[in-house]
Amino acid sequence: MAASFASKCSRVGRSLLGGLGNNLSGLQSASNEVVGNNVWSQQQRTFIQMRTVLKVVDNSGAKKVMCIQALKGKKGARLGDTIVASVKEAMPNGKVKKGKVVYGVVVRAAMQRGRCDGSEVKFDDNAVVLVDKQGQPIGTRVFGPVPHELRNKKHVKILTLAKHIA
Amino acid sequence: MRLEKCWFCSSTVYPGHGIQFVRNDAKIFRFCRSKCHKNFKMKRNPRKVKWTKAYRRLHGKDMTQDSTFEFERKRNRPERYDRSIAENTLKAIKKIAKIRSDRSSDHIKNRLKTGKIQRQKEARKQLEQDIHLVKAPLALAQDSSLRLPKIKVNVSQTQTEENQQMEE
Repeated sequence: MAASFASKCSRVGRSLLGGLGNNLSGLQSASNEVVGNNVWSQQQRTFIQMRTVLKVVDNSGAKKVMCIQALKGKKGARLGDTIVASVKEAMPNGKVKKGKVVYGVVVRAAMQRGRCDGSEVKFDDNAVVLVDKQGQPIGTRVFGPVPHELRNKKHVKILTLAKHIA
Repeated sequence: MRLEKCWFCSSTVYPGHGIQFVRNDAKIFRFCRSKCHKNFKMKRNPRKVKWTKAYRRLHGKDMTQDSTFEFERKRNRPERYDRSIAENTLKAIKKIAKIRSDRSSDHIKNRLKTGKIQRQKEARKQLEQDIHLVKAPLALAQDSSLRLPKIKVNVSQTQTEENQQMEE
Protein backbone atom coordinates (compact mmCIF):
# COMPACT_ATOMS: atom_id res chain seq x y z
CA MET A 1 0.00 0.00 0.00
CA ALA A 2 2.59 2.37 1.11
CA ALA A 3 4.80 1.36 -1.77
CA SER A 4 2.04 2.02 -4.30
CA PHE A 5 1.37 5.39 -2.68
CA ALA A 6 5.01 6.20 -2.82
CA SER A 7 5.23 5.20 -6.46
CA LYS A 8 2.19 7.35 -7.28
CA CYS A 9 3.69 10.23 -5.41
CA SER A 10 6.94 9.81 -7.16
CA ARG A 11 5.22 9.65 -10.51
CA VAL A 12 3.26 12.79 -9.80
CA GLY A 13 6.33 14.41 -8.43
CA ARG A 14 8.29 13.41 -11.46
CA SER A 15 5.72 14.79 -13.82
CA LEU A 16 5.58 18.00 -11.83
CA LEU A 17 9.29 18.17 -11.65
CA GLY A 18 9.50 17.33 -15.29
CA GLY A 19 7.30 20.28 -16.08
CA LEU A 20 9.34 22.44 -13.77
CA GLY A 21 12.50 21.08 -15.23
CA ASN A 22 11.35 21.97 -18.69
CA ASN A 23 10.50 25.45 -17.54
CA LEU A 24 13.78 25.74 -15.73
CA SER A 25 15.72 24.56 -18.70
CA GLY A 26 13.89 27.08 -20.82
CA LEU A 27 14.74 29.81 -18.35
CA GLN A 28 18.30 28.69 -18.21
CA SER A 29 18.65 28.73 -21.93
CA ALA A 30 17.09 32.18 -22.00
CA SER A 31 19.45 33.43 -19.32
CA ASN A 32 22.35 31.85 -21.14
CA GLU A 33 21.36 33.72 -24.24
CA VAL A 34 21.18 36.93 -22.25
CA VAL A 35 24.62 36.31 -20.83
CA GLY A 36 25.90 35.48 -24.27
CA ASN A 37 24.45 38.72 -25.54
CA ASN A 38 26.17 40.53 -22.71
CA VAL A 39 29.48 39.00 -23.59
CA TRP A 40 29.16 39.69 -27.27
CA SER A 41 27.07 42.83 -27.00
CA GLN A 42 30.24 44.84 -27.59
CA GLN A 43 30.19 44.72 -31.33
CA GLN A 44 33.21 45.53 -33.38
CA ARG A 45 33.25 49.31 -33.64
CA THR A 46 34.26 50.74 -36.99
CA PHE A 47 34.70 54.01 -38.77
CA ILE A 48 32.04 56.66 -39.06
CA GLN A 49 30.95 56.17 -42.61
CA MET A 50 28.04 56.91 -44.86
CA ARG A 51 24.68 56.32 -43.08
CA THR A 52 26.17 56.35 -39.57
CA VAL A 53 23.72 58.17 -37.31
CA LEU A 54 25.42 60.39 -34.74
CA LYS A 55 24.18 62.27 -31.74
CA VAL A 56 24.55 66.04 -31.83
CA VAL A 57 26.00 67.29 -28.53
CA ASP A 58 25.57 71.05 -28.85
CA ASN A 59 22.66 73.49 -28.74
CA SER A 60 22.47 74.09 -32.48
CA GLY A 61 19.00 72.56 -32.58
CA ALA A 62 19.80 69.33 -34.38
CA LYS A 63 19.37 66.09 -32.41
CA LYS A 64 20.59 63.43 -34.76
CA VAL A 65 22.52 63.62 -37.99
CA MET A 66 23.42 60.98 -40.52
CA CYS A 67 26.89 60.99 -41.99
CA ILE A 68 26.89 61.31 -45.76
CA GLN A 69 30.58 61.93 -46.36
CA ALA A 70 33.82 61.85 -44.42
CA LEU A 71 36.04 64.71 -45.48
CA LYS A 72 39.24 62.80 -44.80
CA GLY A 73 40.19 59.17 -45.00
CA LYS A 74 39.19 56.47 -47.39
CA LYS A 75 37.43 54.19 -44.92
CA GLY A 76 35.59 56.88 -43.03
CA ALA A 77 35.93 59.37 -40.23
CA ARG A 78 37.42 58.81 -36.80
CA LEU A 79 37.66 60.77 -33.62
CA GLY A 80 38.37 64.42 -34.41
CA ASP A 81 37.65 64.21 -38.13
CA THR A 82 35.15 66.39 -39.94
CA ILE A 83 32.16 64.91 -41.71
CA VAL A 84 29.33 66.12 -43.89
CA ALA A 85 25.98 65.05 -42.51
CA SER A 86 22.29 65.49 -43.07
CA VAL A 87 20.06 66.45 -40.17
CA LYS A 88 17.62 63.65 -39.38
CA GLU A 89 16.07 64.96 -36.18
CA ALA A 90 15.93 68.55 -35.01
CA MET A 91 14.27 70.71 -32.38
CA PRO A 92 11.32 72.65 -33.80
CA ASN A 93 12.82 76.08 -33.05
CA GLY A 94 16.53 75.53 -33.49
CA LYS A 95 19.11 77.13 -35.73
CA VAL A 96 19.40 73.98 -37.82
CA LYS A 97 16.41 72.48 -39.57
CA LYS A 98 15.69 68.91 -40.46
CA GLY A 99 16.95 67.85 -43.87
CA LYS A 100 19.75 70.41 -44.03
CA VAL A 101 23.28 69.38 -44.97
CA VAL A 102 25.75 70.38 -42.28
CA TYR A 103 29.39 69.97 -41.36
CA GLY A 104 30.33 68.40 -38.07
CA VAL A 105 33.37 67.44 -36.01
CA VAL A 106 33.34 63.97 -34.45
CA VAL A 107 33.99 64.66 -30.77
CA ARG A 108 33.23 61.16 -29.48
CA ALA A 109 33.66 57.87 -31.27
CA ALA A 110 33.08 54.35 -30.01
CA MET A 111 35.95 53.13 -32.15
CA GLN A 112 39.26 53.46 -30.40
CA ARG A 113 41.77 55.97 -31.65
CA GLY A 114 45.48 55.90 -31.00
CA ARG A 115 46.94 58.71 -28.97
CA CYS A 116 50.26 60.35 -29.67
CA ASP A 117 51.97 58.26 -26.95
CA GLY A 118 50.69 54.95 -28.34
CA SER A 119 47.84 54.33 -25.92
CA GLU A 120 44.28 54.33 -27.14
CA VAL A 121 41.08 56.14 -26.25
CA LYS A 122 37.47 55.28 -26.92
CA PHE A 123 34.10 56.66 -25.93
CA ASP A 124 30.62 55.47 -25.17
CA ASP A 125 28.88 56.70 -28.32
CA ASN A 126 29.31 58.49 -31.59
CA ALA A 127 28.73 62.21 -31.16
CA VAL A 128 29.26 65.26 -33.32
CA VAL A 129 29.42 69.03 -32.88
CA LEU A 130 28.04 70.97 -35.82
CA VAL A 131 30.37 73.52 -37.37
CA ASP A 132 30.19 75.81 -40.37
CA LYS A 133 32.50 75.58 -43.37
CA GLN A 134 35.13 77.67 -41.61
CA GLY A 135 35.17 75.29 -38.64
CA GLN A 136 33.43 77.60 -36.16
CA PRO A 137 30.81 75.81 -34.03
CA ILE A 138 27.18 76.68 -34.79
CA GLY A 139 25.95 76.17 -31.23
CA THR A 140 27.20 77.96 -28.14
CA ARG A 141 27.50 74.99 -25.79
CA VAL A 142 29.07 71.54 -25.94
CA PHE A 143 27.83 68.69 -23.76
CA GLY A 144 29.82 65.79 -22.39
CA PRO A 145 33.50 64.95 -22.62
CA VAL A 146 35.61 65.77 -25.68
CA PRO A 147 39.14 64.58 -26.46
CA HIS A 148 42.09 66.94 -26.24
CA GLU A 149 43.18 65.87 -29.72
CA LEU A 150 40.78 68.51 -31.09
CA ARG A 151 43.49 71.06 -30.34
CA ASN A 152 45.71 69.51 -32.99
CA LYS A 153 42.81 69.70 -35.41
CA LYS A 154 42.40 73.46 -34.76
CA HIS A 155 39.07 73.15 -32.99
CA VAL A 156 40.07 75.12 -29.90
CA LYS A 157 36.65 76.76 -29.75
CA ILE A 158 34.98 73.41 -29.11
CA LEU A 159 37.53 72.64 -26.40
CA THR A 160 36.85 75.92 -24.63
CA LEU A 161 33.11 75.31 -24.74
CA ALA A 162 33.44 71.77 -23.39
CA LYS A 163 33.18 71.10 -19.70
CA HIS A 164 35.15 67.86 -19.58
CA ILE A 165 38.27 67.19 -21.58
CA ALA A 166 39.44 63.59 -21.72
CA MET B 1 54.88 61.92 -17.24
CA ARG B 2 52.16 60.45 -15.11
CA LEU B 3 51.82 56.80 -14.17
CA GLU B 4 48.17 55.91 -13.86
CA LYS B 5 46.60 52.93 -12.16
CA CYS B 6 44.65 50.34 -14.08
CA TRP B 7 40.98 50.49 -13.17
CA PHE B 8 40.63 46.73 -13.11
CA CYS B 9 43.82 45.26 -11.69
CA SER B 10 45.33 48.39 -10.05
CA SER B 11 48.68 47.86 -11.71
CA THR B 12 50.64 50.81 -13.05
CA VAL B 13 49.83 51.96 -16.57
CA TYR B 14 52.96 53.32 -18.16
CA PRO B 15 52.73 55.89 -20.94
CA GLY B 16 51.84 54.41 -24.28
CA HIS B 17 50.32 51.30 -22.79
CA GLY B 18 46.75 50.13 -22.66
CA ILE B 19 43.48 51.75 -23.58
CA GLN B 20 41.27 54.24 -21.88
CA PHE B 21 37.52 54.33 -22.07
CA VAL B 22 35.68 57.59 -21.46
CA ARG B 23 32.12 57.17 -20.28
CA ASN B 24 29.53 59.79 -21.20
CA ASP B 25 29.67 61.26 -17.68
CA ALA B 26 33.38 61.95 -18.34
CA LYS B 27 34.60 59.20 -16.00
CA ILE B 28 37.81 57.78 -17.40
CA PHE B 29 38.54 54.06 -17.10
CA ARG B 30 42.16 53.22 -17.77
CA PHE B 31 43.26 49.70 -18.50
CA CYS B 32 46.81 48.37 -18.48
CA ARG B 33 46.22 45.70 -21.13
CA SER B 34 43.50 44.11 -23.21
CA LYS B 35 42.96 41.44 -20.52
CA CYS B 36 41.68 44.06 -18.09
CA HIS B 37 39.71 45.84 -20.81
CA LYS B 38 37.99 42.61 -21.83
CA ASN B 39 37.14 41.79 -18.24
CA PHE B 40 35.62 45.24 -17.91
CA LYS B 41 33.59 44.72 -21.05
CA MET B 42 32.31 41.46 -19.59
CA LYS B 43 31.08 43.57 -16.64
CA ARG B 44 33.17 41.65 -14.13
CA ASN B 45 33.64 43.12 -10.71
CA PRO B 46 37.36 43.48 -9.91
CA ARG B 47 36.58 42.72 -6.27
CA LYS B 48 35.36 39.27 -7.28
CA VAL B 49 38.15 38.40 -9.69
CA LYS B 50 40.91 36.69 -7.78
CA TRP B 51 43.97 37.99 -9.58
CA THR B 52 43.22 41.68 -9.09
CA LYS B 53 44.68 43.88 -6.41
CA ALA B 54 41.18 44.83 -5.26
CA TYR B 55 40.36 41.21 -4.45
CA ARG B 56 43.64 40.61 -2.66
CA ARG B 57 43.24 43.73 -0.59
CA LEU B 58 39.65 42.95 0.26
CA HIS B 59 40.45 39.43 1.36
CA GLY B 60 43.49 40.34 3.42
CA LYS B 61 45.91 38.61 1.08
CA ASP B 62 48.19 41.59 0.68
CA MET B 63 49.53 44.24 2.96
CA THR B 64 47.22 47.24 2.83
CA GLN B 65 48.50 49.71 5.38
CA ASP B 66 52.15 50.54 5.37
CA SER B 67 54.29 53.64 5.56
CA THR B 68 56.03 52.68 2.32
CA PHE B 69 52.81 53.24 0.41
CA GLU B 70 52.76 56.87 1.37
CA PHE B 71 55.66 57.74 -0.90
CA GLU B 72 53.48 56.91 -3.87
CA ARG B 73 51.15 59.86 -4.09
CA LYS B 74 49.38 61.89 -6.73
CA ARG B 75 51.12 65.25 -6.94
CA ASN B 76 49.52 67.93 -9.04
CA ARG B 77 52.36 70.40 -8.74
CA PRO B 78 55.46 69.53 -10.73
CA GLU B 79 58.59 69.29 -8.64
CA ARG B 80 61.41 71.64 -9.56
CA TYR B 81 64.42 69.68 -10.75
CA ASP B 82 67.32 69.54 -8.34
CA ARG B 83 70.22 67.25 -9.08
CA SER B 84 70.96 66.26 -5.50
CA ILE B 85 67.32 65.62 -4.68
CA ALA B 86 66.94 63.49 -7.78
CA GLU B 87 70.03 61.52 -6.81
CA ASN B 88 68.77 60.92 -3.30
CA THR B 89 65.36 59.94 -4.60
CA LEU B 90 66.86 57.39 -6.92
CA LYS B 91 68.82 55.92 -4.02
CA ALA B 92 65.76 55.93 -1.79
CA ILE B 93 63.57 54.20 -4.36
CA LYS B 94 65.67 51.05 -4.22
CA LYS B 95 65.75 51.00 -0.45
CA ILE B 96 62.03 51.62 -0.11
CA ALA B 97 61.22 48.94 -2.65
CA LYS B 98 63.31 46.45 -0.69
CA ILE B 99 61.67 47.38 2.61
CA ARG B 100 58.27 47.08 1.03
CA SER B 101 58.93 43.66 -0.49
CA ASP B 102 60.32 42.42 2.84
CA ARG B 103 57.33 43.68 4.74
CA SER B 104 54.87 42.20 2.27
CA SER B 105 56.57 38.81 2.45
CA ASP B 106 56.47 39.05 6.25
CA HIS B 107 52.78 39.85 6.01
CA ILE B 108 52.16 36.74 3.93
CA LYS B 109 54.20 34.62 6.34
CA ASN B 110 52.19 35.90 9.29
CA ARG B 111 49.00 35.26 7.40
CA LEU B 112 49.97 31.65 6.75
CA LYS B 113 51.04 31.06 10.34
CA THR B 114 47.52 30.57 11.72
CA GLY B 115 46.79 27.88 9.14
CA LYS B 116 49.97 26.06 10.09
CA ILE B 117 49.08 26.06 13.79
CA GLN B 118 45.61 24.83 12.96
CA ARG B 119 46.96 22.00 10.85
CA GLN B 120 49.37 20.93 13.59
CA LYS B 121 46.58 20.92 16.14
CA GLU B 122 44.39 18.79 13.91
CA ALA B 123 47.21 16.36 13.26
CA ARG B 124 47.90 15.99 16.97
CA LYS B 125 44.24 15.32 17.64
CA GLN B 126 44.09 12.72 14.91
CA LEU B 127 47.14 11.01 16.32
CA GLU B 128 45.51 10.79 19.73
CA GLN B 129 42.15 9.58 18.46
CA ASP B 130 43.20 7.18 15.74
CA ILE B 131 46.24 5.60 17.35
CA HIS B 132 44.34 2.30 17.62
CA LEU B 133 44.51 1.96 13.85
CA VAL B 134 48.26 1.67 14.12
CA LYS B 135 48.52 -0.09 17.48
CA ALA B 136 45.63 -2.30 18.67
CA PRO B 137 45.83 -1.74 22.43
CA LEU B 138 43.60 -4.61 23.55
CA ALA B 139 45.19 -7.22 21.37
CA LEU B 140 48.59 -6.14 22.43
CA ALA B 141 47.63 -6.15 26.10
CA GLN B 142 45.87 -9.53 26.03
CA ASP B 143 48.11 -11.67 23.89
CA SER B 144 51.72 -11.49 24.85
CA SER B 145 52.70 -13.77 21.92
CA LEU B 146 51.53 -11.09 19.51
CA ARG B 147 53.76 -8.59 21.14
CA LEU B 148 57.04 -8.41 19.39
CA PRO B 149 59.38 -6.21 21.27
CA LYS B 150 61.20 -5.18 18.11
CA ILE B 151 58.04 -4.12 16.36
CA LYS B 152 56.81 -2.30 19.42
CA VAL B 153 59.96 -0.34 19.68
CA ASN B 154 59.82 0.49 15.99
CA VAL B 155 56.26 1.72 16.22
CA SER B 156 56.94 3.88 19.22
CA GLN B 157 60.03 5.22 17.56
CA THR B 158 58.16 6.20 14.42
CA GLN B 159 55.53 7.83 16.57
CA THR B 160 58.00 9.89 18.43
CA GLU B 161 59.60 10.84 15.18
CA GLU B 162 56.26 11.91 13.81
CA ASN B 163 55.58 13.88 16.91
CA GLN B 164 58.88 15.60 16.62
CA GLN B 165 58.20 16.44 13.00
CA MET B 166 54.82 17.86 13.89
CA GLU B 167 56.27 19.95 16.62
CA GLU B 168 58.91 21.25 14.32
